[in-house]
Amino acid sequence: MALGTATQVDSEVNLKADRPWVCIVWDDPVNLMTYVTYVFMVLFGYSKEKATELMFKVHNEGRAQVSSGTREEMERDVQRLHEYGLWATLQRDNEY
Amino acid sequence: MSPFKREENGEISIEISTQESHVLISLTEQLLELLSQGDSLAEAQDPLMHIVGISESDALPEDPVLRRLFPDAYEDSASSSEFRRYTEYGLREKKKAHARIIYEALTSQGEPEEITGGNTPIDKGSFKLIINSAELLDWLSGLNDLRLALAVRLGIGGNQQESADIDTKAIHNKYELMLESDPMKAVYAVYSWIGWLQQGLLEEISPE
Repeated sequence: MALGTATQVDSEVNLKADRPWVCIVWDDPVNLMTYVTYVFMVLFGYSKEKATELMFKVHNEGRAQVSSGTREEMERDVQRLHEYGLWATLQRDNEY
Repeated sequence: MSPFKREENGEISIEISTQESHVLISLTEQLLELLSQGDSLAEAQDPLMHIVGISESDALPEDPVLRRLFPDAYEDSASSSEFRRYTEYGLREKKKAHARIIYEALTSQGEPEEITGGNTPIDKGSFKLIINSAELLDWLSGLNDLRLALAVRLGIGGNQQESADIDTKAIHNKYELMLESDPMKAVYAVYSWIGWLQQGLLEEISPE
């Protein structure tokens, strides 16, 4: 039992080490709420429900983490978000 | 009523007046010009770098509209500059492609027919065109870039620190109360109109 728990903790640590970067979207007063939701659905394949929840988080809290992964993956996400006019940055997970 | 409509065969169409079309043509033209600034200079500096999409310039653009369209990707400026060096050229090309799709669709309608009313020619024509389904996202983001550009000129959310605190209602009231003679009032009207257009398109294409 104890061994099983230890293994699980290890895999969680590894998982985290593999995904150390996050992509953040910041609130801005120009992009329409419906547009932001739509972009999240199209770019990330998120359901309407999840995309709407993230949009509200951006709107109410000023920012939201929209994806996580390797630095290269996050740079690609930021680039695609910039292409669609959203205000996105990337940073290490522990900074968020 | 939104000018965007889903046809019976599922295609999306837009029906707008030639006057409205002229406004969009003129704005996309200006955006294309702005996005092309410095292109020939970069090409002259190093054609090979230009071909592979790496720019020599890694500085934040001087024009505030370009700064909004190509924001920093990192909080620290060194990483942002590096990112910009490798991505800004490609991003500019993509934004140009979005704007060009709107521009070309509208200009493909040819010269509008003018209906003469009295001594002054009044342009009353309108036309309808089908938007290729593969180009719907280009329209959506192209319209969004126009709004972002106009917003910067209107002083709405030009920089990241301020943006979260901006009260959109207060901005709306400010322009509503402006004198008709103030040119910024007309700019705000166009900005609102494009937002309305974008919303109409979103309503047609967003899944329930």
